[in-house]
Amino acid sequence: MIRCPSCGCEQSEKIVCEQCTGPLPVDLDLFAALGLERRLSLEPAELERIYHEISRRIHPDRFANSPQEVREASLKSTALVTRAYRTLRDPVSRGLYWLELHGTKLAEDNKQVPSELAALVFEVQEQLAELRDTEEPSSRQSLLETIAQSREAAQREMDQAREQLVANFAKWDQKSASQAELLAELKALLSRIAYLRTLLRDIDREIEPSVPR
Amino acid sequence: MAYSSKVIDHYKNPRNMGSFPKDEPNVGTGIVGAPECGDVMKLQLKINDDGVIEDARFKTFGCGSAIASSSYVTELVKGKRIEEALAIKNSVIVQELNLPPVKIHCSVLAEDAIKAAIADWQKRKGIKPAEKKEEAA
Repeated sequence: MIRCPSCGCEQSEKIVCEQCTGPLPVDLDLFAALGLERRLSLEPAELERIYHEISRRIHPDRFANSPQEVREASLKSTALVTRAYRTLRDPVSRGLYWLELHGTKLAEDNKQVPSELAALVFEVQEQLAELRDTEEPSSRQSLLETIAQSREAAQREMDQAREQLVANFAKWDQKSASQAELLAELKALLSRIAYLRTLLRDIDREIEPSVPR
Repeated sequence: MAYSSKVIDHYKNPRNMGSFPKDEPNVGTGIVGAPECGDVMKLQLKINDDGVIEDARFKTFGCGSAIASSSYVTELVKGKRIEEALAIKNSVIVQELNLPPVKIHCSVLAEDAIKAAIADWQKRKGIKPAEKKEEAA
């Protein structure tokens, strides 16, 4: 139970008071902060609508002349709601947060990445190393072309993995798979995405001199 | 975080760095990766028909600890039988190189690389007799 700093009523933990719609200084998980059930599949447009609606109600500008306790509640709940929206709108960060909510992290008892993905990363890292050691302009040019093709391949893998993640969300939400199975599958897919993201970043750092190393 | 002197030694003077030709029949190649840091490690083992590891090469893209772990592993497995090599635990690597807790995953990666390289060699060797049998029948 929590006491509303605006109207003083006691009520269950929510982001806004049911009596006066004022902000409540709560510590909720990111799904609860937006009044959502814990589900992996979320409709982006719906999420945005909910976020804007709640933000409007608790925005600090509305409480500029309110007592300090209310202003603080407004700041705290606004920060929480913003963090919830930013975390949950992206399927990957939502998946990572889901792991965290269920008491595990990506790096923990993580299975090996599939060998074909490791082989792709190795191949591209060799190309990048060769580029670093190559001075001659025409050789550099042909290497850069090879690397651009590798980047496309890695990006395709990434797009597929992200699509698969979103497609699996609905399946996982139906709880046809056991919780342990779900977390293992989610982790495997998020590892794949994390590895590809690092690879794409390494490629971009090497081929775009403007990006600081 | 400071690297131990042994890590720095392997990093500055890597042992057995490089590659064997991929299609050499006695060579097993294992490529393993760590998604959380982006590291990737290739370990190649040259294994004779008696199942003894005659030579090893590695190439690793990653942090100093990952390079040192794979470099050390090439020294460790040389002359060992594959059963002995498969029994190597990452804790041996952690101890030898004084790896801190945050770098233990590098030693796990090196252990996985041994297993992957041997599995690849076994696959190459295992397929051939099977084909011969089919031809004979």
